[in-house]
Amino acid sequence: MTEGMLDKSVISVIRIAELKGEKIMQLQHVSGRNAGHIILYALSTCPWCKKTKKLLADLGVDYYYVDVDLLDENEREEVVETIKQWNPARSYPTLVINSKIPIVGFKENEIRKAVQT
Amino acid sequence: MSNETVITPNEVDRLYERLKMESEAAGYNLNPDTDFTKELVKGLLTNEKRYGYQACPCRLSSGKKDEDLDIICPCDYRDSDLTDFDTCY
Repeated sequence: MTEGMLDKSVISVIRIAELKGEKIMQLQHVSGRNAGHIILYALSTCPWCKKTKKLLADLGVDYYYVDVDLLDENEREEVVETIKQWNPARSYPTLVINSKIPIVGFKENEIRKAVQT
Repeated sequence: MSNETVITPNEVDRLYERLKMESEAAGYNLNPDTDFTKELVKGLLTNEKRYGYQACPCRLSSGKKDEDLDIICPCDYRDSDLTDFDTCY
């Protein structure tokens, strides 16, 4: 599997679910301006992840996030495999924009720069 | 994960004070951003109620203590994180 494929498949799963009006996994959608396909892999317990969510919300960008610790076992395994290809250390938050290089950790300046349009 | 137990501010404050005392006695400082640190403490308490031990709130716990010994707070990665980032992740 080439780099980015799993993440792209997550995006397509989201799109299909959106078309069907279904909720898939526990992916949350935050509406905003389009700054690319943004997926945040987070933990509900992690304050760095909360800061990242808040920053994205403050920047007003459209993004999806998933709190991996809240997924059931099967979903979690699948998502962790996806995260691993972006960030072998599997640390949180891991932010992937347009299936390109991930931003790992709450790196405010990097995030701001990446979502500039 | 349903049926999550609610963590009260009182529980957070109590653990915060204990961790502050213990970390300072060991030569460490808690993050001076108290709101941030209390969020982290809340995460520790959530994990304790969920899994039975205080797994790092910023790392994914397996739910099996034997497999998570390295990520129980203070975790094995604290000092290297402090060296690299001036904070733990």
